[in-house]
Amino acid sequence: MTVRERPSGPASAGPRGLGDRDIGAMLFTAEMYGLQLDLLAAVLGGTVPRARAAVARWRRFGYADAGRLGPGPSWVWLTRAGLAACGVRYAPIPPALSRLAHIRAVSTVRLALAATAGYQQAGAFWRGERRLRARAGTRAGLREHLPDGEVHWPDGAPVPWAGECWAIEAELTRKTVTRTTAIMRELLGRTGDYGCPAADAAVPGRPPRHARALYVCSAAARPTVLRAREALGPLAARLEVRDLPPQASLSARTDAGRDGTPPDGPVGEGLSPQGPALDGSPPDGRERAC
Amino acid sequence: MLIRQYLALLLLRAAARAMWRLVKGAAVVAVIVAAAPVSAVAAGAALTAWACGWPPRRLYGAALWCLPMPAVWLAASGLGTPGGPGGPAWYRVAGAPYQAWLDMWRLGASGHVAAAAVGIAPVAIPAGLLIGGLTWAVRIYQMETGAGGLSPTSAISFDRRQWQRQVRSARARIAAPGSVPLTYRNGSVVVGGTIRAVRHRATPITALPYDRLRSHQVVIGTTGTGKTTLLLRLWAGFMATALSRQAAGTGRRPLLVVLDCKGGADSRRIADRARRVLRDAGARATAIWPDDANLSLWDLPPGRLTTTLLDLIEHGRGAAAYYADVMEAIVALAVQAPPGPPASSADFLARLDADWLAAAYAAGDAETLAALRSGAHLIPDVALRFRSLWRRLGTGFEPAGSFADADAWYCILEGTAETSVAEAQARALVDMLAGYISGPGRDADVLLAVDEFSAVSRRVPIWALYERARSLGLAVQVSAQSWPGLAADEDERYRIAATAEGGIWLLRTPYPDPVVGLAGTRRYVDSTRRLMGSPPVTASPTAAGQMWAVPFMAAPFSAARWSGEGSSQVRLMPVLDPDIVRGLGVGQAAYVHQGGVTYVQVKRLVAAPAALPRAAARQAAAPAPPHPAAASAPATGGPAPGIPGPGVPAPGVPAPRRPMADVSAFLDEAFGPAAGPRRSGSGTGRPQSGPADRETRTLDRERP
Repeated sequence: MTVRERPSGPASAGPRGLGDRDIGAMLFTAEMYGLQLDLLAAVLGGTVPRARAAVARWRRFGYADAGRLGPGPSWVWLTRAGLAACGVRYAPIPPALSRLAHIRAVSTVRLALAATAGYQQAGAFWRGERRLRARAGTRAGLREHLPDGEVHWPDGAPVPWAGECWAIEAELTRKTVTRTTAIMRELLGRTGDYGCPAADAAVPGRPPRHARALYVCSAAARPTVLRAREALGPLAARLEVRDLPPQASLSARTDAGRDGTPPDGPVGEGLSPQGPALDGSPPDGRERAC
Repeated sequence: MLIRQYLALLLLRAAARAMWRLVKGAAVVAVIVAAAPVSAVAAGAALTAWACGWPPRRLYGAALWCLPMPAVWLAASGLGTPGGPGGPAWYRVAGAPYQAWLDMWRLGASGHVAAAAVGIAPVAIPAGLLIGGLTWAVRIYQMETGAGGLSPTSAISFDRRQWQRQVRSARARIAAPGSVPLTYRNGSVVVGGTIRAVRHRATPITALPYDRLRSHQVVIGTTGTGKTTLLLRLWAGFMATALSRQAAGTGRRPLLVVLDCKGGADSRRIADRARRVLRDAGARATAIWPDDANLSLWDLPPGRLTTTLLDLIEHGRGAAAYYADVMEAIVALAVQAPPGPPASSADFLARLDADWLAAAYAAGDAETLAALRSGAHLIPDVALRFRSLWRRLGTGFEPAGSFADADAWYCILEGTAETSVAEAQARALVDMLAGYISGPGRDADVLLAVDEFSAVSRRVPIWALYERARSLGLAVQVSAQSWPGLAADEDERYRIAATAEGGIWLLRTPYPDPVVGLAGTRRYVDSTRRLMGSPPVTASPTAAGQMWAVPFMAAPFSAARWSGEGSSQVRLMPVLDPDIVRGLGVGQAAYVHQGGVTYVQVKRLVAAPAALPRAAARQAAAPAPPHPAAASAPATGGPAPGIPGPGVPAPGVPAPRRPMADVSAFLDEAFGPAAGPRRSGSGTGRPQSGPADRETRTLDRERP
């Protein structure tokens, strides 16, 4: 990792002294609301001590803040200056305590997808819920459900599903089957982008926005998700259900990072140092039009 | 001598009368001056009510809202040291108004006018508002009964000007941004500002309880009067309230189905506007049939499907009844064949083949085979008729699509350009909606709105639609441009209007008389007075609403003056004034319900931006390329193995789409093996239940 760090300087000096991985990890952290140190280590492709050192750098610039919000390693989130440096207009707030487990689960899912060869070869990119919410703004209807993330597969990518857009849902707790089915229908029936004119959001007859939906669920939520999928009818063909990786559990990581080792399993494996999706934006800087 | 005495007596009487009037006037002036603050507030309130066209009730309400002010003021006056100056508390409270009055004059005399006004305000404002309201009520009563005014035309002018002021106030009331919400918290649907209410409660804003929208309603208004604006508001209100009730667990899922039986470009513009308005009201999806979405006729149960298919074809009478029976037998054989009901029009047309039917019923009973043999020579004719029918109907009834796919369906029927096609479509849509509602587990609050249904009601009489809707528990909203447009004959029109429990909306229309009759009458006092200074003609000004309609008749008497003599009697007059209805402006409507009428200035809903820019709309109108995600079309209902498949592709049958790629290996790499049952391949149909899933269900049942 190349880090060009200045011995001192004002916090408003800009992203000087930050390497590519720092920038990618900051963008990742910004889009996921916050990140725990062990997952940050996976993003950076190093160990927890290296992640801690990176966080210290960010804090020196005033770009990030860190703290122990819940069980497990410390959490890192970007400050207003950090978000401004990343060029995103999100509210500079630490991750909500009630959402820590969910944020960790979604981050784990994103890392697991990004670790696969197909994802990297295809140059797929991730649009997180925070970005979708910011894009939708006040136009997001009260009843509108935002997925936890979207994976966009560019056209011409060397995968059979090139050109598709997937909706990603991380399910930790059990909802009612009716509610879950309704969410599935909404995800699979949506035709417009988030933030598009209201009348375009779901227009029967137009191609759906999400070619398929991927539910990555905990053991507790799996029965409900499976029953909801059964109730979907023909739409079930576009729904995939998988188990959350073991690292997704917040409580399972209480001792993670203390020994300075990266997490096991798919989370830390195979992440390319120049992972195409870590910045959470399309490679060409464009977003799919509504 | 006698004459002189008589003249003196007359002079004395006149002098006494003048003196009495002088004393009375002086007393009134003295009271007004003595109670100057109250008089000023009362005069201001009455003038404001007159200028704004407010009902007296509004001033009474304002007086009531001011009551806390004198209550606090009196309480403050009563506070003080017991036994101190001013006596006990009750004495100070009782004397507070008098003291305030004295203080006001004292302060006013010393030039402290503002302090005097503030000191007397707690008493003067509520009292003034109350007196102003009473004065205004007396004035209205005098003008309505014909007992007031300087000339016979006064009442006419008064009512005409009051209507103009009321309209101006209602427009101003709804013009402020955010002043008129779509719904109230109690679920009532807000329509607009109240202009005038007759035998209805006069509230500044007209709101309809949700139950009214769940009942049958009738809307009549010519083009350009704001009928679409009113309908959109009612639909959006229905959608918003029903969704709120559903979210609160007190209601069912809403479903709005609009049958626009005019067709053409205008209907499509309204459909786009409806889609945007409904989206803002909370509807997730609004489908426009048949432009954007299909409704699959082939999802109907076989028995109902047979009936609907037969109803789509016109039958003759007399000798043609024989062919109708034969057609019914052939269609029943094709639909109820052993492989299952047809999945599409192409599948159905392929079945109208003697060889196909013979192969399908090879193992059938002798009676079926005999029927098949006897009607075999007519099968090509039946096939020809249905082939022509499907060519004219288009692709709107092809798979896949159901009323469950959207919260609202806007169905455009070309009733003007292609009447026979629209009639068949209307028939099928009504059957499909009935089939959908009566299906298991389809609990929904349905509002069926039909516009100009008389254009397509030859096969589905609208009264039959009403009765059917009533039996299915759905509300029907019938709208037309005129009274004759409601239904084919007068009996049907009266039946529809008389059973509109949710009320009748009347916009500007030249022929409101039938609805006026249905709205009923009300009693009023008709005063007759003698005129002076003109020929001895007795003018009988009726109630104000009728008077201003005949200004030319009253014009000859405009120079005359009333005498003090006359009589009054109770008469009946229509609740709904037909002349007001004939003169309603754009966006004004009369809502008739339960013997009363409320005139409303409808608040226009501002929808979200247009659905698509023009370039995108043109692109959307072009044939869309197949999308890999759209491969979810149900694969059920196809011909069984061994049965000849559809040989003739029906027009509009969706082109085969690229199957979805299998992502199992990719996801296995990321997350490990699949959770629950594995499917044979993504996008190939409904997932099969596996042992793991059965185990899951067992565990679920064991949980409390």
